[in-house]
Order: sequence, then C-alpha cells, then structure tokens
Amino acid sequence: MTSARHLPSARRTRRGAVLGALVTLTALVLSACGSGSGAGTAAAGGGGGGKSATLKWASSFFPTHWDPVVSGSGAQFRILALPYASLTRTDAKGNAVPDLAESWAYNATGDEITFHLRPKLTFSDGTPVNAAAVKDAIDRAKSQKNSALFGDLTSIKSVTTGGDLDVVVHLTQVDHQIPLLLGERVLQIASPKAAADPAKLDQNPVGAGPFVVTQLIPGTKVLLKKNPNYWDAKNIHIDNVELVSAPDKATVVSGLQTGVYNFADLAPSQAKAAKAAGLDVFVQPGFNASNISLNINKAPFDNPKVVDAVRYATNRQEFVDKLTFGYGKPTNQPFPPGYIAYDEKSANLYPYDPAKAKQLLEQAGIKPGQIKLDLVISKEDPAAEIVQSQLAAIGITVTIKINKNWATPFFAKDLTFSLYGTTGRDSAVQTLTAHFGPDGPLNLSSPYEPEGFEAAIAKVRQTPLDAPDYPQILQAATRVGLQSRALVFTYSSPNLFAKNKAISALPANPAHIDWTGVTIGD
Amino acid sequence: MVRRVLALPAGRLAVGILSVIVLLAILGPTLAPHDPLGTSALTLAGPSWEHWLGTDYLGRDVFSRLLAGSRTSVLGSVEVALIALVVGVVPGILSVYFGQVFEWFTLRIADTLIALPFLIYAVAVTALLGNGIPQAMFTVGVLVSPLFYRVARASTLAVARSQYVEAALISGASIGWIARRHVWGKVLPPVAVALAQTIGIGFVVVSSLSFLGIGVQPPAPTWGGLLASDLGYLSYQPWAPAVPALLIMATVWGSNLLADAIRDVSGEAGRALLNSRRVRARRLDPAEPIPAGGVAP
Repeated sequence: MTSARHLPSARRTRRGAVLGALVTLTALVLSACGSGSGAGTAAAGGGGGGKSATLKWASSFFPTHWDPVVSGSGAQFRILALPYASLTRTDAKGNAVPDLAESWAYNATGDEITFHLRPKLTFSDGTPVNAAAVKDAIDRAKSQKNSALFGDLTSIKSVTTGGDLDVVVHLTQVDHQIPLLLGERVLQIASPKAAADPAKLDQNPVGAGPFVVTQLIPGTKVLLKKNPNYWDAKNIHIDNVELVSAPDKATVVSGLQTGVYNFADLAPSQAKAAKAAGLDVFVQPGFNASNISLNINKAPFDNPKVVDAVRYATNRQEFVDKLTFGYGKPTNQPFPPGYIAYDEKSANLYPYDPAKAKQLLEQAGIKPGQIKLDLVISKEDPAAEIVQSQLAAIGITVTIKINKNWATPFFAKDLTFSLYGTTGRDSAVQTLTAHFGPDGPLNLSSPYEPEGFEAAIAKVRQTPLDAPDYPQILQAATRVGLQSRALVFTYSSPNLFAKNKAISALPANPAHIDWTGVTIGD
Repeated sequence: MVRRVLALPAGRLAVGILSVIVLLAILGPTLAPHDPLGTSALTLAGPSWEHWLGTDYLGRDVFSRLLAGSRTSVLGSVEVALIALVVGVVPGILSVYFGQVFEWFTLRIADTLIALPFLIYAVAVTALLGNGIPQAMFTVGVLVSPLFYRVARASTLAVARSQYVEAALISGASIGWIARRHVWGKVLPPVAVALAQTIGIGFVVVSSLSFLGIGVQPPAPTWGGLLASDLGYLSYQPWAPAVPALLIMATVWGSNLLADAIRDVSGEAGRALLNSRRVRARRLDPAEPIPAGGVAP
C-alpha cells in the first residue's frame, strides 16, 4: 500500500520536472531574443555613428597561414591582401596596375624587368619598403622550404637591386607575364625584418598593406585597423576590420541579418534567403572553375579509355542546375566562358554522351560494376554525389570518402580520384601551368603534362600582353592543355557575396576583393 | 512482464510507436516508392502526390530517403544498447561474486568510462577505425556500459546480501543455482529499464553523429543526415527539417516511455500498482451490466 501511494507522487515530481524544463526553455528563448536585438542595435550604432567605419567580415576562406609564401595563390589571398601590399595589383579589366611599384619596364629582349618602387614607404613595423625588401620576398618565395609559390616562379633566374628603389628581375626566358604574376596572388611582400623568422611571421603578419593586424586568433578571428602609412591611405575609408571564420553556411545569413557581420561570402543556396533578408547580394566577377581530378599514374585511369569514359559521362549542366541556383555556368576549361584564355574551339570537346562513355568502357573490356573507385574529398559536398550518380549511370561504382586531412594526400599526388577547383590566377599562364604543368598544384597526375604544352606556354610568355595575336596564342595553349587526361572541368561557381546595404559597392576587379574607395555609411 | 507493460496506457503507446519504427526499419527500403539514391532534375520541390514530402537538393524523393534511412538509425541504436548490455551487465553481476580485486578493477574502469564524453570520443574513434556507424556505435556502447554495470551490480548486491540467499547458501545451493533462481529475476527488471532508456540515448547519438556527417558515407540517407542537409536549404523548404526531427523525437520519446512503463510495473511496487488498477476496475465493473442489461433486450 505504501508503494502504491508513493507512485502518484513520483508522477507529480515528473510533471514538475517537465514544467521546470518548459520554464527554462522559455527563459532561454527569451534571453536569446534579447541578445539578438542587442547585437542589432550595437551594429546600427557602429554603422550610423559615422566616427569609425567597421567592416565585419565572415569568410569561409579563413587563412591557416599568414606568411604569404606559405599561404600560396588560393582564395585566402583576398584576406592576406588586407595586411600585405604587393608589387602590382589588377584593375577592373584584369590588367596589372601599380601597387608598391610605381612603374616597371622590360629591357629590349624581354628577359629582364625593372620595377621602380614608390619612395618613402614603410612596413607596419617601421622597416623601409625598398628594393632589398622586394628581393628578399622573391628569394624567400623561391627558396623557403614550405613555399607554395616556387613552382610559379620558374621564369625568374635572379633578382638584383639597382639603387634603393629599383628591383631588377632577371628571367630564364622571355616572359611578359611577370607584372601580372607579381601581384596579390604571388608576391604579397612581408617586412624582411619580420620574415627573418618565417614561423613567427606565419602567425604575426607584418606588411605594407591597407590594414595592420592588431589581434590574431589562429583559425578563428583577426582584428585589423587602418594603416595610415599605406601608400593609398587616402582612398581607404574603413577604420577597422573584424574578420571571423564563417560558421555553417546556413547561419551566415542570420548573422548578416542581425548585424553580427556586415559582409560575407555566400553559398548560392543561401542567396534567396539573403535577398529576402534585405541584404545586398552581388556577384564579383571572377575566374572560378571546378574540376574532377584524376590520377593517370594509378589504375584505372592509367587506361586512356577509362579517362575518356569519365569525360563523356560528365553532365556539366546538372552541376550548374543543382549547385549554383542560377548563378553558375558550365565550363570544360579551367576558367568560365568569356575569359581571355577560354578557347571557343574547344567548347565542344568531350560533350555529355553516356552512350559513348559506356561504349568506351566496353571497348576497354571493362564490365559494368567492375570499376570501384574511392572519391576522396575534404568535406561533405553535393558535387561528389552528382559525380557518383553520373558515373553510376555508366557502370562505375564510386564510394565517397571524406578525409579531413585531404590536402596532404592531394598535394602529395597520392589520391586517385578527387574534386577540386580554382578561383583563378591574375596571369592566365599561371592558371594553365597550375592545372596542366608538371608541378602544377592542381595536376593530380604530376609529373605528367600534355604533349606540346611546355612549348605552347613558352610561346605565350614570349608574347607581349598587348600584342594583337596574344589572345589567339593564349587560347592555343589552352587547347593543348585541355588534352591533359588529369582533369575534367565541370562548372564555374560564382563569387557570390552578401553585404549590408550601408557598405558601398566594391571595385569590380575580377577575382579580387579590393576595399579601395569603399565606404560604410548609415 | 510484456503483458504487465501492455496493461498501462503509456506502455501500449510506447510499444505502438516502437513497433512502427521497427517495421519501418525492416520494410522501409522496400516500401520506399522511389529509389532513395535516384536523382532527378526536379530539385527542392514541395510535397505532391508523386513526392509526398517533396524532393531534396539533388532531386531525390525525401519520403523514400526517410524510409530507407530508418534502418541505419534503428540498427545503430540497438547496437549501442546491446553492446552496453553485454559489456556492462556481465561484469556488474560478477563484481559481487569474483572477489575484491576484480571488484576494485571493474569499478575503476566503470568510473573511467563515465568520465569520458562519449559523443566526442565516438568522433575520435571514427577517425581512428574508419568512418562507419558500427565503429562509432561500438565505442558509444562501451562508453555507456557503466550504466548497466552499476544497475546490475546494485540489484545483485541487494539480492546477494539478503537473508534468504544466505540461507540457501548454507543449505548447500551453488552460486550458479542462486544466480538462476534468485539473482536473475531481481536484476532483469532494472536492466530492462536501462535497456529501453539506452535505446533512446542510442537514437540521439546516431542522429547527432549522422547530423555531423560522421559514420555515414553520402549519399546514404539517415535521419540526422537529412536534418543536416535540410538546414542548408531552409529558404526553399522551411518545413523540411520538421519531419526527420519529429521522427527522431517520437522514437526517443517512445523508448523513454517504455522505460518508464517497465519501471512502473516491475517489482513489488509494480505489482501493487497493477493490483490497485484491477481493484478499481472491478469496483467499476458491477455498475456496467445494469444499464447494458437494461438496453439489450
């Protein structure tokens, strides 16, 4: 009897617990709303005050390395361009224009180029920006053990200084791409004093760029303030930058909406939500191209017929339809259609033809289901599922493997089958060599290169950029490169960004994020 | 025991929910109206006759994916519960009988396992043993086994120290006979409660891991994975996460309800509860035949 009486009371406590949980939940929800609106007012105050303009940027490309030599030419360069300036930069047409170098001139034969630096500039640690500092930067990019750039500098034999402000670059061959090459992607210049200890520089960037780092929490957050000694400081109207590593793509829009950020790169799937939230969604012109990377040094891609089958099995339109939400374009080249190096004559190379793909496998004596492949990628990606279903249609079984440590085996060329992409390079030649060259970081089949590629590239290098036949010669090199069996290009995703409407339009420099002239108003 | 659980409304509800989920796990993949992996050009579509719950970002039928995904979740949670049961109960009972050294060591091991955060540990183990639900669930099972160890040990202790067991021992009964005759009946009900509860925990763990993309290779569907991918397309299908979320909630709720029902009906307290219900029912019974008798002719 006692226990029978005990039971209802147990039930009462349970009811009490449920009630308690509900009260706690309500309190939590309320407090969350409270802090949300608090952040909103804070943001409005920061923007509207007019005293200090703060850029709050959420980026999904938060750099792991802050030494530009180690960071390389990937999308992170846009963030490293905040503390670092380079010899040249590009304008809205993609041409090289002065940055730290005021002007430059080739010698008569074209195998030597002299850059004239702006006078009286200093790095943020007080070290002067002079010819010796530039020489140090190029030498470091060529020789530092963990340099991600040495492969791009094969044209440079040596660097000498001519006086305090003249940098003379001696070339191994005639190469008219050097002013484009030594821009933000390849030659962001660090203070030689800070670079004396590259490991320290990697976590404490010191440059002569528009902003100076005041605090850096690796992998998470960086705070910067305007650099009053930047050569173009009068055109920088942003006082502070708070840059954070973007959380999950689904939460970026809410962050922008509540004012936690006022600028962010955006996944195409989030564009609709961002527009609905009253944000300014825009596409920065660029050269993005995604690809399927094959290693022809490993089975089954050592068989050219299998490579061809994959080429014909790829339905590019499906990638565009399902991944880019109306913002992308199909491409079968390492850049989108319309780019100067895009070869119209190759536009129909390997069109989607699953019947032909099956036929090729049959000719190679391969039965459906016989080829089983691991597709190794770095993080969950619907593109992988599309590749999987398209190859399943021709009888190739693909297993998707997510490897958080993907970069190590990929750049060591140990993988057989993977996905990758590029945000482009300022020099079209660099884009081509990065994909098709024997040491190209995007060439999973190193040291393989398509036949005749080296000669075609040398010819482009020898052609001045303003020569009338430059586009034809460049496109011919693309045509030779596209014979590479190591890459199947799929689509070009957009450089999609969302910003608070208080931020003025950004200069439309292709593939760059340039803050020159940008204002943050009310 | 089953009949006693079914005597309670909560028990019937719990068994009902769990049987539906188990049926889904067995028949789900065959019931699915479409190929759960078959993509189509119709992406992020709303509900229609063709696609009851719409389609996902690659144009796959969401209803079919939910049905096909139930098996992974159910198998995973059952695996957690069974591994925890085997790893926990056996040493739990033996710790009472196998002497002080064994007792001390198993207690310390159980304490250590309790101190480890199982979800984080499961993530770490998948990195070590390969990305798969069985590996992850094995780890979680081992890490939640102290629950069973403690429950089994506590009820065994109560039996082993009781006078009638000591009397049986003096009369020459063997340890094996005592275990079968006295210990088993006392240990089983609390272990059953823990088992039902652990199945619920297992469900949450499987769903959390697959939400994080751990243990499942895309494009294999799982409830947690569906939930995660739906969150990326909220502006197109704001209602989409509700369905997998409700399924996960219902299953966990069913398991917890079952655990409650088993606890309520087990032991002396349970017998008393059921008796009191029967008494109440009998008191009401005689009142009924009168109006029934009056109407029937």
